[in-house]
Parts: sequence; structure tokens; C-alpha cells
Amino acid sequence: MSGAADSTRSCQPPPYAELHCLSNFTFLRGASHPQELVAQAAALGYRALALTDECSLSGVVRAHVAAKEHGLHLIIGAELRLACGLRLVALATDRQGYGRLCRLITLGRRAAHKGSYHLTREDLVATLERCLLLWLPGERPQAEQAHWLVGQFPGAVWIAVELLRDGADRARLEALRRIGRTTALPLVASGDVHMHVRARRRLQDALTAVRLNVPVAEAGWNLYPNGERYLREPERLAKLYPPELIAETARIAARCTFSLDELRYEYPRELVPAGETPASHLRRLTEAGAQRRWLQGVPPAERAALEHELALIAELGYEPYFLTVHDLVDFARRRGIFCQGRGSAANSRVCYCLGVTAVDPQRGAGLLFERFISRERNEPPDIDIDFEHERREEVIQYVYAKYGRERAALAATVIQYRSRSALRDLGRVFGFEPAACDRLARVMQWWDGSEALAERLRAAGFDPESPPLTQLVPLARELLAFPGFPRHLSQHVGGLVISAGRLDELVPIENAAMPERTVVQWDKNDLDALGLLKVDVLALGMLSALRKAIDLVNGLRGTRHALGSLPAEDPAVYEMISRADTVGVFQIESRAQMAMLPRLKPRCYYDLVIEVAIVRPGPIQGDMVHPYLRRRQGREPIEYPSDAVESVLRRTLGVPIFQEQVMQLAMVAAGFTPGQADQLRRAMGAWKRSGGLGHFRPMLLEGMAARGYSSEFAERVYRQMMGFGDYGFPESHAASFALLVYDSAWLKCHEPAAFTAALLNSQPMGFYAPAQLVRDARAHGVEVRAVDVEASEWDCTLERSGAAQPALRLGLRLVKGLTRTGAARLTAARAAGPFSALSDLARRAGLERTDLEALAGAGALAGLSGNRHLAFWDVAGVERPLPLEATNTPAAAHDTAAPAADAARPLIAAPSEAESIAADYASVGLTLGRHPLALLREALRGRGVSSAEEAGVRPEGSAVRAAGIVLMRQRPAAAGGVTFLTLEDESGQVNVIVWERTAQAYREALLGARLLEVHGRLQHAEGVTHLIARRLFDRTGLLGALVTRSRDFH
Amino acid sequence: MRAPKTLDLFAPEHLPRRAVRPPVQPVQPQGAPERSTRPSQAPLWLAVHLPRLAPESDSGVPRVLHSLAVRAQRFTPRISLAPPDAVLLEVRSSLHLFGGVDGLRRAMAGECAALGQPAILAFAPSASAALAGTRAGRAFTVLEAGQLAGSLAALPLAALRWPPQLIERLARIGVRTVGAALRLPRAGFAQRFGATRLAALDQLTGRAADPRERFEAPQRFRRRRELPCESDSHALLAVTLRALLEELARFLAARQSGVLALECRLWHRQAVPTRCVLRLGAPLADAARLAALLEERLRSLTLPEPVRACELRAGSPVPQPMHTGGLWRPGERGGLAAAPGVELIERLRARLGPEALETLSLVADRRPEAAWRAGPPALAPDAESQATMRAVPRPLWLLPAPRLLHQRRGLPRWHGALHLEGEPERIETGWWDGREVARDYYNARDGRGRRLWLFREREPPHRWFLHGVYG
Repeated sequence: MSGAADSTRSCQPPPYAELHCLSNFTFLRGASHPQELVAQAAALGYRALALTDECSLSGVVRAHVAAKEHGLHLIIGAELRLACGLRLVALATDRQGYGRLCRLITLGRRAAHKGSYHLTREDLVATLERCLLLWLPGERPQAEQAHWLVGQFPGAVWIAVELLRDGADRARLEALRRIGRTTALPLVASGDVHMHVRARRRLQDALTAVRLNVPVAEAGWNLYPNGERYLREPERLAKLYPPELIAETARIAARCTFSLDELRYEYPRELVPAGETPASHLRRLTEAGAQRRWLQGVPPAERAALEHELALIAELGYEPYFLTVHDLVDFARRRGIFCQGRGSAANSRVCYCLGVTAVDPQRGAGLLFERFISRERNEPPDIDIDFEHERREEVIQYVYAKYGRERAALAATVIQYRSRSALRDLGRVFGFEPAACDRLARVMQWWDGSEALAERLRAAGFDPESPPLTQLVPLARELLAFPGFPRHLSQHVGGLVISAGRLDELVPIENAAMPERTVVQWDKNDLDALGLLKVDVLALGMLSALRKAIDLVNGLRGTRHALGSLPAEDPAVYEMISRADTVGVFQIESRAQMAMLPRLKPRCYYDLVIEVAIVRPGPIQGDMVHPYLRRRQGREPIEYPSDAVESVLRRTLGVPIFQEQVMQLAMVAAGFTPGQADQLRRAMGAWKRSGGLGHFRPMLLEGMAARGYSSEFAERVYRQMMGFGDYGFPESHAASFALLVYDSAWLKCHEPAAFTAALLNSQPMGFYAPAQLVRDARAHGVEVRAVDVEASEWDCTLERSGAAQPALRLGLRLVKGLTRTGAARLTAARAAGPFSALSDLARRAGLERTDLEALAGAGALAGLSGNRHLAFWDVAGVERPLPLEATNTPAAAHDTAAPAADAARPLIAAPSEAESIAADYASVGLTLGRHPLALLREALRGRGVSSAEEAGVRPEGSAVRAAGIVLMRQRPAAAGGVTFLTLEDESGQVNVIVWERTAQAYREALLGARLLEVHGRLQHAEGVTHLIARRLFDRTGLLGALVTRSRDFH
Repeated sequence: MRAPKTLDLFAPEHLPRRAVRPPVQPVQPQGAPERSTRPSQAPLWLAVHLPRLAPESDSGVPRVLHSLAVRAQRFTPRISLAPPDAVLLEVRSSLHLFGGVDGLRRAMAGECAALGQPAILAFAPSASAALAGTRAGRAFTVLEAGQLAGSLAALPLAALRWPPQLIERLARIGVRTVGAALRLPRAGFAQRFGATRLAALDQLTGRAADPRERFEAPQRFRRRRELPCESDSHALLAVTLRALLEELARFLAARQSGVLALECRLWHRQAVPTRCVLRLGAPLADAARLAALLEERLRSLTLPEPVRACELRAGSPVPQPMHTGGLWRPGERGGLAAAPGVELIERLRARLGPEALETLSLVADRRPEAAWRAGPPALAPDAESQATMRAVPRPLWLLPAPRLLHQRRGLPRWHGALHLEGEPERIETGWWDGREVARDYYNARDGRGRRLWLFREREPPHRWFLHGVYG
């Protein structure tokens, strides 16, 4: 009897290295973060810790960073289960072994669906080198596996002995010793660690249940019998294991010398032609670009700046990065895909010359390039490139084709538990009905992990004191605690990783959920930490729309416009923007933006840069908006506490608006280094979860005090930083976006027909549905023509009209339910000659009945059949030709397709106006007829409801009743529970503000109504009118079958 | 206050439902059915619609509908079920017996009320029309075929219970009412929507015949048979009962049904009849099985007097898919043996009572006290009870609750010192249902050599308990 009572303590336990340890990157098995495991192993005095997640290296970078901090020897490895059932741990001894392990994991992951892997013994033998293997014998050891391993990997195999106090430890040890003797394999102690402390046992059980998709009470034998799978104290292990098994751990650890620091990332080399160096090639490309940009010759100031940038790039060795970005942009240009870069390095003169951006450095108010590439941080420069959203995939596939799947892949995103997913999963763990799980998840949707939880639970019909909830809530806290518990890997929105050599020897690559996509197992932060190059290839709907609009304009007017080459700084454009006449314009079309425009009244490009950045939660919460507006309107003096601060804040009138300004302030006013400022930026993003800026606060305040700033100024800067939080918008991005704002506004101002057509042809995108876009276009005098089988193409097109603006013909793409192939057959048949009747159309285009019905529903058959009722009657009468007849024998097809019943026109009443409007909305999503509210106006007036037009001119504070179709519901996170609604009637729009208490009281009407009646009070402020809701009523019933769509934003 | 004006595309369900009897419509000469010279002899249908029965109620005829049909038999022999929510009565010749239309309406409404069901009643010369009317909530009375078209015109098509897709297709050509449908060209309608739908419209207007399946009330089996002589011989009783049971089996077979309850009465000369009731878990129609079960029960009875006659009363027949009989009897060449366990269990339950029988099964739980359960015997072997038990041996006898043990110097005692053997097994689990355990289990031997199963709590004060004894 040894383990029952404490026996004598040995004074100094022998060194122990844990060689089999899973983190929570073995999803739904491991219950601790890699950082937690590393910190605990270091605290316990472990000799080393191997992180061996199952067929994954996703957690190793975090562990590596933590291990450096704690001075712990970290070993990189993986647990593997082969298809034959053999389980083992592979540990990398050196760089080569690490590369082979990466390749093996890649092989297994690429051979299976996302989230699983498939490996065979042959894979192991063919791929693995310079790794040490721990055989995991399991409950019933099969000696054959040991024999096979020792035969294939002589001298590199151990038998892992995992004594977990299940009552059979001695028998297990004896059995493994026998196998060890027959195979001459050494035995080594290991712990099958799933958590850093035993207190995570419940969470580990819960994760097991989630993995099996059963309530924990039904997980049965799949739960571990006890909580021994944690990082056990070396003293305990010394009592449990024979000393030679413990000693063996340290010997193995000593052979595993590999560290992630040895990874040397190399940029791809093929972009440099023979005989050139990266530096000379970049210079040549930059020079060629400079000749194009500055036709009169490069101004001396620009020349000097260019030289400075090139020198800095050369010093840091970033030429290949710029060449890579240039290559992608060049490819897009050759394909006619619009694209534009943004981000820290994108606004450099080099990028301007390379064509990555069109931000003219002179126009861009002299943004400093050096600010964004920091010598100290040694991080790769950051450039995001936006491409047309419908064509970005071409760019991604170009990269795969150019570099191969072994050398290029997307970055991963670690999907973490959010309150909703955590509660849904945990609800299931405790056996709640799916409906109750959803209810629970909804209650907790906005829960930030703190107070008032009990009340909210009670309100939703849960008893917070009841046993399942008292157990559930602590588990939820553990899942939601900083830094967020990983749930699974997903693909980054567009971060591409490209390497010179085999990428799959640097990091494992796996399949993404989307076909033709592969992702590395590391996320953006991991890549940053190891200095790997990532280019963000992003999708932007507005670029698609701009390309289409400019193509239409060029076709119409014979111009040769391109992105960024539209006439600059046109006062008419700024006039329109200042009127908030911006439906469809990039970025400044949201309700909040529209409310700001008449106050800010942008007059030049840089005003647009500010406009893009200022209507963000950061500046709003940091209370920067009002001071800026007051100063701009000259109602408040502009003062700077010092010249240094003035240099940072002059362009924004002394108010920090951009993320960069906050960092620069920390540098010039508080003496931060660039590296510290960057850490500050990260802390600003995370303070809400970690509870404050921590040690940055004294650093800031003392730094500013030391430089002679008043404590009041210092406190204000600090408050602004807290307010900024995660939501500060970088000037470098705003500068690029503002170009697209201008271009889209120019098109809206001068070519509204082409602009609207392009927006419609790029849906879904932007803030407004087709109905609002078309309504806006008509309000600007554009003639819009209905979808018509005799005139419409797939896309919306421009047609001749008597006026200066062409008419906009709606395209077949708007017709709900019409297939693209059907539409193509229709337009092809029409090209051969006009249709004589519906039967003629049906026969020549060979359309499916569903396509014909879709066209009838859209009213697109009006020219052939008359009203919708008759169109549907005719369509129903078309007999589908048999497949054989359809193609070869037109005569026969003609016979069958000519409906005999056509002779008798039926006695059917024509649809009413309301029916037609409803059908328009149902099929095309918009109507060219009257607004549905116009039909209800009389009834509404009887209820005392005013139209939007009438309501808008009532005086401040008057009681107003308004009703309209709900276009949008927004509940911005920064607005503290306020919901913004936009209602639309036949005369215009009403902006409604619903405070939280009203929202609670009228929740159902608020969330459910399509036609909403609002009673409230009018408020005018700086040219913007709001209706403050008191009472809400769902009047959807008045609409009958009318279908409207609202866009909900949260 | 007036309701707001509504758009005329309003779905009809938004309108308030009211059961209004419309005034008698003027006869509209339509190209409708051939006029009978004696119209009063043409059929007249009364449809009784029970709106509480949900239209989507699943398979089969609701019990209430069945009861209503049985009650309606007093008005007419020609009754049809229109599941799931209506009954049809042909009442032309019953009118004068029940006080005309109004009298019959009252009487029938009374029957519905007796069943606790509100009802909508409509009279029409066509069964379909009456049915559609009530389903649309119109309690109309149309006595003559000539008036039919007018009453039907306003009915929504949905009242016909056509497939929703078809209703939708018709709505798209602007046809939402029966009247609008009737105005469409016949050939065009048939080509587009099918000849059967046209036929349905013709049945509605009475233009085509509308045959309905006649409702037959189910009967109960009740037979009595005299014994050849007064007797208390079980053998003679058995023979008589067997004959009765075979009659029952034929009765049930004809109805494709089985019984769930069976009562046997044994008549004596003086004493009250001896009753013996058999209740079954599943419908049964097999004479041999029933006989075996009944005899089992009879054997446990004590008879006050010799028996003169046997009577068998069966509960209502329960529809049951009939099985084809095997060519061979069980056990014979080629005959499959019936699952013996099932029969044994049924027999034991018949003899000992249903509560007397329990089976033990394993539960996949690490806690010893939660790792088993007793329950009603499963008729099929339970997959879960096959759950693999662990490699570490466990005692067969578990104490109802762990018994606290004294300890001396940290070691447990029970009738003297105990000798701990082997290594501990640590069990920490069960936190989710309030019966968490955290224990180290040990095997131990007492002074008399018995092997015991103990545990020590992981939490202070580290008490020791006896939990099991090895056999």
C-alpha cells in the first residue's frame, strides 16, 4: 500500500519532462490554453514540456512565445492516430525533423475533410525523419505495433507509460515491461495531459460531451474516470513511476533541441528576373512607375522621399514583399480587375509608383511613410489589397497556380467561443432542449461576462439558482475568459502566406471548408510573431460596382476613365455629399454617416478621409466628434499644448481621430518607443476584456508629466484612448477608402443611371436594397424601365432616352427564381429575332417551366401576354416539349408547344394595383408603381398618421405619428442599447430612435414588423431630424401579402 | 371605431370568420346539372365540420369523429367520414322525421355539443359542396341544385383542401375563389391543372356524381356458450373457451384488428358470475396466444360453484396489420421459433402481475452506484445493457448505501482491522447531477478472509466507507 497515505517525501524530485500534452487546440479534448500549460509547467519546475496536439501545430506559436517568457524548454510534437489504430506521439528533434512533422500533418489533413485527418503506416515511414516517437499502447496493448515501430524507426521509439490511477496501473506497467523486454524498447513516463490544473476537469468533461454531441450525463465511458490528466507535481510523479522512467523523460527532452526561433522565413524569389537583385528590380519598377505618375518629371521633394523609402526598404530587406504585392496588382490590372491597396505601407510613394494605390502623396496631406514601417518592430509592412468582390477568387487561384499548394496557403482564423456558441454548446451538455439552448444563448447574446446575469436569466424563464445553471455559468465563464477558448480553425478573410521554399515544412497546411482553398494552421498573430509574410487579398463590392459603372460610362460617352482618374476635386460632387445625398456612395451612405455629412460639409479629399474615420465607434465613444465639429465651424479655439503635439494633430484640428495619431501622441508626448506604441495599440483593442490598459496608464501619465504636459491633458488623452478601444480607424486605410468615396460620389453625381445600374449589377453589397437604389435614381430623374423579356439582358443596362441621362433597363438578374442558364438561352434566342408570342419564346428558348413562371411573376411577359394573371395562365398552358423533340425537330416541338387552349382567353380579372405592387416586390424586390404606403395613406390619415414629408416640417418637440416600411434596424454596439430604425413611405424616410426601455416594452413590434407605426416626438439637431419613439405598433397586417425586405444590422 | 381600410389583396384569413346563413339565393339558370323532375328526391347532404380538429392532424380518423359518426346513425343510415375534421350525412329522406332542416340542424348540433365540440353545419345537394362550405366557415343551406353555383362562388379555393402548391398556382392567375375557377375555360383548366381537379369542381356543382364510402360502425365481440353439463373441470372449460376464442379470432381477422382487453364470465347456478379480465400490452388476435394467457389466469381462480356457461366479451377492436400465417408451426421444419423471451415475459407477467418483474441492466456511468439500474423487462434485448464493463474487477454485491467505517491511524476498520490489497482506483466524476463523487477505491480483506470493497474520500476529512462485498 503506497499511494493511500502520504509517505516520506523525497527532498528533491528528479527532473521531469512532460512529453504528451494536449492544449485546447486539440479542439474539444484539451481544456487549457497553450500559454496556461507552459506557465504551469514552468511553475512546477518541469525540465521541458512537449506540446503535442492531435495532428496539429496550431497552438505551438502561442506556447513558444509563452515559453520564451517563462524560460521553459518547449518541445514541438504531435499526437497521431493512424488509420490502423496505432497511436503515437512524434517529437521534432531539429529543424529537419520539424519540417518532416509539418509535412506529415499536412499529408494527413489534406487527405481528409476539414477538421479530420487520415494517415497510414506507409505515410509515417515515407515522411517522418529525425523525430522521436512515443508509442501510446492504449487499454489493450498490441505488441505487434511495438514490433513494427521498432523495425521502422530503430533507436527512436519509446513505450509511453501513462499511469493515471484507474486501478490497473501496476498491471499496465507489468504488461508494457514485458513488451519492452521482447522488443528491446525503453519505457518512458508520460501523462496524457489534457489540462494544466485538475480544476479544469469539469470543463474537460463538458468538452467531451460537446465533441460527442450528447449531454454529459449520457457521455458514459467516454468521460475520463478521474482528473489525473493534468500537469502533476513532480513529487507525485516520483511516487507513481519507477525512477528510470522519469529519468528517461529528461533524456528524450535533451535530444529535442528544435526551437521555432530557428525558422527562417524566406520571401519568394521568382519575382526577380535573372541578373537583377530584389533591390535593383524594385528600383526599376518604381522608376518606371514614377515616369507614369509624374509626366513632367519627379518633383525634387518627391524624389528625395522616394530615395528615403527605397533605402529604408533595402535596410529592412522588404523588397520581395513589395515585389509580391506589385505582382498581384499587376496580375489584376492585366485581367482588368479593379483593385486598390490600403494599410500602413500602401500610402508610400513606392506603392504609389507601383500602382498599388492612387493616393497621391501630395493630395494625401504628406502622410509619412516611415511611421508605418518601424525599424524597431521588425514586423513585415502591412498592405491590404481590395479586389472586386466577384473576381477576387481569380487572384487567389493565380497565387496557388503560380507558387503551388506547397508554397502558398491562406492564413487561419481561430474561431473562439462567443457567448452565444458557448451557451448553446453548454446547454446541450446539460441536456436542455434545443429550444431552451437557443433561448439561453439569446439571453446571453449581449452578455459581456459580468454583472446582472442572474436577473437576465430569470427574465428569460431560467432559475439562476438551479443546479444546472449554477454549474453552467462557471463553465461559460471559463470558455469566454480572455483570450477566448478556441472552437475550431477557419480561413482568414484573405491573408495569403507565400514562401520561397516548401511552406508545408514551415507550418502544416490543411483543407478549408471551401473547395480549392487551403489554410495554414497558424493565424495572423502567429504569423506576425514568427515574421512570416502575409498579403491580405480582400474582397470589396464597391470595386466591382465602380468597375462596372466606369465601363458603362466609357461605353456610353466614349471616355477612357479608370479608377482614380475621374476629374478630381469637383465642387458639384462635394456639394452633393454635403447634402447627404449619398445613397449608394461607398462608406458614407449609412444613416450615421448621412447624419454627419451636413454638419461636416466635406470640401476636399482630406475631409473625406476624416469623414470615413470619424463616424466610428472609437471616435464617438472617445468624444472626439463634437470637439472636431466645433473647431471646424470655428466655434471653439484650436490650441496645442506643444509644437510636437501640433505636428501630430494639426491636420485634425487638434483632435485625435485616427489610430495612428493616438500612437504618435504616445510617442511624442509620453516618450513611448514605436514598439511600445504598437503594444499600446494592441492593449487598446483588448482592454475591455482584460480590464484596463494596465501598466500603460502610469507610463502614459508619467511620461506626459515628465514632458511638461498638464495632468488634465494627460487624463484626456488617456480617456480618449480608452474610448478608442478596438474601434480606432487607421488613417492609412481611410486615405484609400476616401478615394473610392470620391469616385463613387462623382459617378452618382454625374452619371446616376450608370452608377445605379452598376450597383444593381453588383448586388448583394452595400447598405441599400435594390428598391431604395432605384427609388433614389428615379428621384434624381433617371428613367427606369421594367424587366422585359423583349429588352432586358441579364445585367441592368442603359438604353437611349430623350434626356441627358440614358434610361436604366432593369436586368433579368433581379428576377427571383430565374436561372442564369435560362436567362442566357432567352437572350440568345432573342438575338435571332423578336418573339411573336409566349409560345414562340418558350419554344425557341427551351425554357423550363420554373423559369417561365419566374418571368411571369416578374411581369416580364407583359409585352407578350398582358397582365400577370394572363401571363401565368399562358405559362401554365405551355406544354414542355419532350427532350428528343426539343432540339432536333422544330416542327414537332412547334406543334406541342402551341397551346390549343390559347384560343380561349379566360375570363380573369386583371390584378389590382395592390396585387401588382405586391407581386413586383415578391419577384423583383422593387416596384416602379406607386409606393405601397400611398395606397394606405387614406386609412393611415384616419389614424392621425402623417407622411414622412409632413412630419419633417413639424416643429421641434411636436408629437408625431408616422408609419412606414422598415428599411433598416440597427443596434450598434457603441450606442448602448439604442436601436435606430429607418421607415420609408411614399414621400420619403423617417429616422426613428428607440431607447432601450421603449424597445423592451415594444420588442415584438420592433423586431417583427415590416410595416411599423411609430408615435413619438420630433427632434431636430443640426439639420438632421429624428423621431424619438414612445410607442410602436406592428401594422404589417395592412400590407396583406406585400413582401418587403428589411436589412438588419447588429 | 372602424377597422382600417384594407388592401383588397388581403388574404381571406384576415377577415373575421362568422357563421352566417346567407339569404336564399335566386335560382340562377346555369349550364348545371340536369334537373330532376322530382327535385326533392335528389340527395341532400349535411356536412358537419369540427373546426377544433386541426386540418393537419396526422394519419387516421380522430376518435371524436368516429364517435360523432356513431351518434349520427340515429338520423340516417347514409353516413360518410370526411377525415380529419368532418362527417357527411345524406338526409333528404330524414328531413321530415326531424323537423326539417332547422330541426335536423339543432339535433345534430346537440350531438356535437354532447361531444364537447363546436361545429359548423351546412346543407347542400352535393357532398363536396356542403363539405367545402363548412370548411370555409359558411353554414349555408342550399336545398336545390340550381342554387348551388351562387353559394359556391364566393368560397375560397383553400376550402377544397387542394395541395397548397396548386392553390398557389391558381392564385397567381388571379383565381382565388370557386366562382373564379368555375369561370375558366374547361379544356384550358383541365390541361393546366389536371382532369381530376376539373372532376372535383364538377362534383362540387353536382355536375358529376360524388360517391362516398359508407361509414360502418364497428361492433364488439360478445358470445356466450353453454357447457354440455355443469362442470368445474378446467379441461372442459378450456375446450369451450378455445371454441369461443377461435370465433373471436375470426371476428377480428375480418376486421383486421386485435383486442387489448378481454373479459371472460363464467356463469354459475346460484353465485354471481366469476369474472376474469385480461389486459394486453399490444393488440392480439391470435386464438392460441389468447387461450394460453386466459388459461393462465383461470388457473389461479377459485370457482364458487361449477360453471354452466362461458361468455367472452372483447373490448373494441383495434386496427392492426395482419400477418400472414406461416406454413409450418413454430419449431416444425422450416418454422421460425417465436422469440421465446417475449412469451416467457408475457407469461410471467400474466401469472405474477406486471410489477413483479424487473430486469437489471448496466448504465454507462463511472460511479458504481449509478452504473446499474432496475427497470421493466425489455421485450427486446437492450443495446445499452451490452455496454462494455471495465477491465478492473468489481464486486457483485453493492451496499444500498456506502457504510461509514471507523478508522484508526488513518486506516479503516470493520469488525477488526482491514488489510488493504492492490492499488487504488480513483473515481472523480458525476458533478453534473449533484451526486459528485471523488474517491479512491481499495480492495481489502477482513479477519475472516472476506474480500471487501472500500473507498476513501478525496476531500478532507478523508472518511472511509465500505461500498461492496465480493461474492
